[in-house]
Amino acid sequence: MERINKIQILQKELPDLELLADSRSLQIYGQDWTRFRQPDPLAVVFPRSVDQVQALVKFARLEKLALVPSGGRTGLSGGAVAASCELVVSFEKMRKISEFNPLEASLKVEAGVVTQALQAYAAEQGLFYPISFAAEGSAQIGGNIATNAGGIRVLRYGLTRDWVEGLTVVTGAGEVLELNRGLIKNASGYDLRHLFIGSEGTLGFIVAATIRLAQPPPPQTVMLLALESMPAVMSLFHSAKVYLKLSAFEFFSEQALNYVCQHRQLPQPLENPAPFYVLCEFDSDEEAALAVFEQGFADGNLLDGVISQSSAQAEELWQYREGISESITQFTPYKNDLSVRVSKVPEFMQELDQLVAESYPDFEVIWFGHIGDGNLHMNVLKPETMEVGEFERSCLLVNHAVYQLVEKYAGSVSAEHGIGLLKRNALRFCRSQAEINILRQVKRVFDPDNIMNPGKLLNDE
Amino acid sequence: MKILVGIKRVVDFNVRVRVKPDGSGVDTDGAKMSINPFDEIALEEALRLREAGIASEVIVISIGDSSCQQQLRTGLAMGADRAIQVDTDIHLQPLAAARTMLAVIETEQPGLVILGKQAIDDDNNQTGQMLAALWNRPQATFASKVVVAGDTATVTREVDAGLETIEVDLPAVITTDLRLNTPRFVKLPDIMKAKRKPLEVIAFTELAVSNDNNIQIDHYAPPAVREKGIMVDSAAALVTELKSRGLL
Repeated sequence: MERINKIQILQKELPDLELLADSRSLQIYGQDWTRFRQPDPLAVVFPRSVDQVQALVKFARLEKLALVPSGGRTGLSGGAVAASCELVVSFEKMRKISEFNPLEASLKVEAGVVTQALQAYAAEQGLFYPISFAAEGSAQIGGNIATNAGGIRVLRYGLTRDWVEGLTVVTGAGEVLELNRGLIKNASGYDLRHLFIGSEGTLGFIVAATIRLAQPPPPQTVMLLALESMPAVMSLFHSAKVYLKLSAFEFFSEQALNYVCQHRQLPQPLENPAPFYVLCEFDSDEEAALAVFEQGFADGNLLDGVISQSSAQAEELWQYREGISESITQFTPYKNDLSVRVSKVPEFMQELDQLVAESYPDFEVIWFGHIGDGNLHMNVLKPETMEVGEFERSCLLVNHAVYQLVEKYAGSVSAEHGIGLLKRNALRFCRSQAEINILRQVKRVFDPDNIMNPGKLLNDE
Repeated sequence: MKILVGIKRVVDFNVRVRVKPDGSGVDTDGAKMSINPFDEIALEEALRLREAGIASEVIVISIGDSSCQQQLRTGLAMGADRAIQVDTDIHLQPLAAARTMLAVIETEQPGLVILGKQAIDDDNNQTGQMLAALWNRPQATFASKVVVAGDTATVTREVDAGLETIEVDLPAVITTDLRLNTPRFVKLPDIMKAKRKPLEVIAFTELAVSNDNNIQIDHYAPPAVREKGIMVDSAAALVTELKSRGLL
C-alpha cells in the first residue's frame, strides 16, 4: 500500500516524468548482470532532461526516497541493483550526441549514449573513441564514467577518466554542476570531475559529459598465442612490449577458451590445447610479430600461434577473448576483478593460484584478464546443484583469504568493475580506514540525505 | 591434379575508403590491404581439396606490382605450395586479367581454377566467366558447395532463386561465394616456413597479353549522402506526405 502511495505522490509531483512499475519492468531495470540479489525497486523513471533529473532529486530529498542510477545494466558488482524499494532512474531516454567540435576533437554526450554508438559516431568523423570492452554494445557512457570503465585498450589509451573533459552532474543535494567545462588545462583547485568519475552514483547523477576523441590508430594486427605457463605469459609480455606497438595484451586460460568455443560454436583456433592463451593487438608489423614469436618459440615459452591477415580475422580472433564473460554467465560466476602492479603479477598469480586450488577444490575457476594492466579476472563458477545463497557464502569465505593476499601485494579488490554491493565489505583491504572515513565525509557533502545509490561502494555505518 | 587460385590484393573490407578530392581515384595511402575475401575462400577450398587427397598441388597467382607478394606470402602461409606473381604496374581490367591467367594456365595446365566471384574493390564479377570462355572450359560460378569426384565437379551455386546444383567436367573454372567455407587462420610457424616456398615472378610483358582496356574511367565520386528522413505523426500525415511527393 505504501508503495502505491509513494508512486502516486511521485506521479502527482512530477507528472511529465515517464514511469513504469509493472513487475516485468521492475525485474529488468532493478538489476545489472549480477544475479546475487533479487531486484525489488519501487518503480523505474525515465528522465529526458537535466531539469527533470534535478526536479526528481529535489523531490527525492523531501521524500527521503533512495535513487539508483541505471544505464546499460551491464555492471558486474551490483552497482545498479535496486533490491530495497529504491527508485531506479534510467538514462536510456537521454542519448543525444551533440556539439561535435573538429578542432578540439571533442563532443558532448548525454549519459544514456551507448558506448558503441559513441565509437561509431567518432569513426564517422574520422576519429576514434578508444575505450572498448565486451559489453560496449549495451553499456552506456554515464555508467562507464561512474565506474571509470577500462577494458581492452587501457594499455595504450588509459581509462575512461582520461577521455572525460567535462561533466554535467546533479548532486544528491539537487544542485547542477558543470565540472571542468571541456577544458584541457585548468589549474584552479580541486577537480571535482575526477571525484564523480568512479563514484558509482553515490555522489550524484552524471547527466552529460564532454568527451575527447583520439586519432584513429594505424592498421592493427591480432595474434592469438598458446603458452605453457603464467611466467611464459609475462616473459612474452616483456618481449612484445619491446618489439611491438601494443594496443592490447590479454590472457585467458584453456577452460575460458573452451567455454567460448562451446557458447559461440566456434572452432578451436589452434590445433592443440594449451594451458594459457594470449591475445595481443598491435600496429601491423609482421616482421616484428615474427621476431617476438621466434624468440618465444626458441625460449620454449610459446607453443603455437595464429596471426590475423585481415580486419575480419582480427575480429574473429577477438571473439575468443570477448566472448568469455558471456559464455560463463549461465554459471552465475562469482567474479573477482583484482589488480596489482604489473611487475608483481607473476608472484601474485602464483600465490593466488595456489590459494584458489586449495580453497576451491570442488569449484571450477576461470581465469582471464588484462595482464598488461596488472588486472586479473578470477571467475568462480557455481556448481549446478548448489543454491545461489550457499554458493555466495562459500565464495565470501575464500574471498577473505584472496583479499588478504591483495592487501599483502598492495593491490585493489576492484580493478575496473567497481565496488557496488558485492565488494563493499572488501573495500578495507585496499583503502585505509582514514581513507574510508574521508570517502564517507565526501559523500555527505554531495549527498547530505544519503539518497544517492545508498549502500553501494560504502556499506551502511 | 593441380589447382590454380587467383588472389587479388585489395583494400581491407573494414577500411572506410575515401575518394581523392580531385576525383582521380580512391585514396589507399596507409590503408590496410588484405587478400580479397572471396579469393581467401577460393584458396581455403583448394587447400581442403588437397588435404582430402583430391588435389596434389595448390598454386596461388596474383597480378600486380611487388606489393602483392605480401598477399601471395599469406597464401603460402595458409598452405599453398607455390606462388606466381605476374608483375605489372598497370591496373588490369577483368578481360586483361582473364587473358593473363589463361597465359599462365597454358603453362601450368591445372585441373581446376578457383577464383573469388568478384573482388571487393571494383566489384566487377567478370574475370571468372571471361576466363572460362577464353579457355573454352565449363564454369560454375557463385559456389557454396564443391564436390570433386573423378573428372567432374558437382557444384551448388547461389542463384537469385535459391540454390542450383550443376555438374561440370574438369578442367573448369569455379568462382566462390561467401558460404562456401570459413578460411583458416594463418599460423605463425607457417609464415616462417612460407618464406622458403617458391615465389616465381613473371613479367606481364613476357606473356604477350593484350591490354586494351575496354572500360574508360572518367572520374570517381562518393555515393550520394542519404537524405535525412522525417517523422510523421499519423497514417493520414504519411498519406498526405506521399501524395505531395507524387508517390501515391
